[in-house]
Amino acid sequence: MFSYYLKLAWKSILRNPVLSSLMVLALGLGIGAFMTTYTVYYLMSGDPIPHKSDVLYALQLDNWDPNSPPTESQRDVQPQITYRDAEYLMHADTPATRQAAMYRTSVTVQPESADEPPFDGTTRATYHTFFTMFDVPFLYGEPWRMTEDDGRERVVVLSRKMNDQLFAGENSLGRNVRMNDALFRVVGVLDDWQVTPRFYQVDGGNVFADAEDFYIPMSTGVEMVIQPHGNVNCWLAPEGGGLDAFLRSECVWIQFWAELSTPEEAVAYKAFLDNFVRSQKEIGRYPRPLNTFISPVMEWMAINEVVSTDNRVLVRVAFLFLLVCILNTVGLLLAKFLGKGPEVALRRAMGASKNAVFSQNLVEVCSIGVMGGVVGILLAWMGLQLIDKLYRGYQNLVHLDGAMLSAALLVAVLSSIVAGIYPVWRVARLAPAGYLKTQ
Amino acid sequence: MEIRPILSAMSRNKIGALLIALQIALTLSIVTNAAFIVNQRSDFVARPTGLDDANTFIAITTNFDSNIDAKQLLLDDLDHINAIPGVKAAITSHSIPVSGSGNGMTYQLAKDTPSNEAVSFGNFSVDENGLEAFDLDLVAGRNFRPEEITWRTLESNDDTKVVLISQALADALFPDGDALGKMIWEDESSEAPTEIIGIYDHMQNAWPDSSNVNLTSLQPFRDLSGPDHYFIVRTEPGERNRIMTQVEEYLAQNRGRMVHVVRSFEEQKGRTYASDIAMIKLLSGVVVILTIVTSLGIVGLAWFSVTQRRKQIGTRRALGATRFDIMRYFMVENWLITSMGLAIGIVGALSLNWFLDTEYQIGRMPLYYLPLGLVLLWVLGQVAVFAPARRAANIPPALATRSV
Repeated sequence: MFSYYLKLAWKSILRNPVLSSLMVLALGLGIGAFMTTYTVYYLMSGDPIPHKSDVLYALQLDNWDPNSPPTESQRDVQPQITYRDAEYLMHADTPATRQAAMYRTSVTVQPESADEPPFDGTTRATYHTFFTMFDVPFLYGEPWRMTEDDGRERVVVLSRKMNDQLFAGENSLGRNVRMNDALFRVVGVLDDWQVTPRFYQVDGGNVFADAEDFYIPMSTGVEMVIQPHGNVNCWLAPEGGGLDAFLRSECVWIQFWAELSTPEEAVAYKAFLDNFVRSQKEIGRYPRPLNTFISPVMEWMAINEVVSTDNRVLVRVAFLFLLVCILNTVGLLLAKFLGKGPEVALRRAMGASKNAVFSQNLVEVCSIGVMGGVVGILLAWMGLQLIDKLYRGYQNLVHLDGAMLSAALLVAVLSSIVAGIYPVWRVARLAPAGYLKTQ
Repeated sequence: MEIRPILSAMSRNKIGALLIALQIALTLSIVTNAAFIVNQRSDFVARPTGLDDANTFIAITTNFDSNIDAKQLLLDDLDHINAIPGVKAAITSHSIPVSGSGNGMTYQLAKDTPSNEAVSFGNFSVDENGLEAFDLDLVAGRNFRPEEITWRTLESNDDTKVVLISQALADALFPDGDALGKMIWEDESSEAPTEIIGIYDHMQNAWPDSSNVNLTSLQPFRDLSGPDHYFIVRTEPGERNRIMTQVEEYLAQNRGRMVHVVRSFEEQKGRTYASDIAMIKLLSGVVVILTIVTSLGIVGLAWFSVTQRRKQIGTRRALGATRFDIMRYFMVENWLITSMGLAIGIVGALSLNWFLDTEYQIGRMPLYYLPLGLVLLWVLGQVAVFAPARRAANIPPALATRSV
């Protein structure tokens, strides 16, 4: 029966090719626009590390200017902490399962062969705990150890992409890479790894960009004066010149994360931080009221407004656009189905029930919906290419995954049913007699 | 005239008319709000930077060879680039205007001014060619003298003794307009104040989104505190691209450094404003496609209703209606439906704007967008219905005499 209805639907669609393609195109445009903006929204607002996002916490310590306006919410507190506090916490005996301090930077990579020009390598300077804490997969080797952090050793972990580029994808453990005029020994190569958004650093750069290509110990980065490329905020100028004054200063530029496996651990860690800040108040630091915050990943994404307002506006506008397209399709379907009066009347007269006429026309509507969906997916794919071109660093936000593809088809069929249900119902209710008389 | 019969015909197909009216209403809501956002962003992007945008380019290098004499190299670079025919001025600065990343600072009137009363702004390090390279005009005072230019390193970052500030910064610090010659302080730890020796017309800071975008200063030093150097080169009109290539080749000759970026200032501006430009293009696209979809919808429905009414039209023609009468019937019908939709659309447009403003702070849409939208959609409706109406007018009266 279904295949017979399909055949009928196809015949009817071909009978008015202009009208039918208009409907398919209108639905396709609406779905394409909506899916384009919604895909970006979906990827922007996604959970970057689903299995662990509720045990990973970002830290905020309010070491800021006493003259600044009072802290009303977490948003008023700096998202980064000072180097001195980060170093203290990394070496203190805290209740946390793991902690990692880090900053974003870049190095000049000097390839071995003199013909190849040096290039800029995106780099994260951090502690060995980074990899275990964020479940970063290794292809070769493993994270460096605490001894290498403490010894400020020149070791490096490469992204898979960079290992492909520098060592043609071979196991490069133990080999050297020359960066900033120093030799770094490769201790690990990551497998493919991309978290979107790159939750561990939300400010001072593109949150949706690729993960870094080089990972070095933070101690080594600081010793070699590899300067941070993210935001450096100071409310008080460092006292005196030189690197040491900067490291001792109240300037914030380190992102700090803790893994707190249980709620009890989180409570204990927060108390630990509060005590630390109180002890610092005694030596004249932290002139503001006590404001320490720990926020799990998704909360942190919300506080830092990772999803852009522009994108939210675009999703709303695209949804209204889809509504217009659906209204358009309803109108066209209505016109078309009312024109089917004589044919429907004939079918009814030959014994087809109202239900049969209803389902038969519903099949036609759904076929238009599926075609609209396919056109929509095609347009959404093109739309995402356009988004990638228009924005910078959106390359990780323009992929239609399985979930989005099925969602697109679902939206298409649902839209077509919403658009078609009234016309289909109207035409099934037509009294056959009136039409038959005129024939 | 013939409005009554039109209304009575419409009442037999209420849903059809309502669908078009709703479509028109939504279209008006979207088009006015989208146009509002597009205009807003265009104005935002078009604000003058203060620079000679079309004839300026930037280059970023990073020294990595530890044997490099960074100071000498920088001096050689500046001499070399400044000597290229067609170069108006080349400088290095530790910040680039409108680049999204730069050096933010504060000035205050006295050493002990509370920090919340300090004025924050964007700072640029320059030498005596700074005004020429950034294309700034002095409103008052004088330029830096070559002997006032100092070197800043990681170890020595003393406050500068003299400074040039933008008119906007001068007004923020000294609302009475007597900024020239005044002494100001960077913060309470400063050892000595800085003298305002000149005021220039206008330059934007590095952050176009910031509320203090027009508050800037030029300080007389060359920065050696990091391995990166930002060159800003202004050329004679039309010479930019040629000199850009030449400078890139020159900079790359030294194998102890890496040349990251050589790009025109216009391109840099485009990158900084990428999301605003994207918004302008996407929403303009929505407006265009939406008007096309809506007009195609009108064409489709009108076409169909003409087909359905062929017999009535033939009858009317046979009873003496002219072609013009038939056309007028469809045009007036469309006008009525459109007007109905626009009435709903005015409410829709204002509600959508209210929603977007409350949720996303896009601002209140000025009311003149509504009449513009109304006229656009009236015209659109009439244009869309023209072809089906003409088809209707061409139906021969003889049709009435045939059956079916």
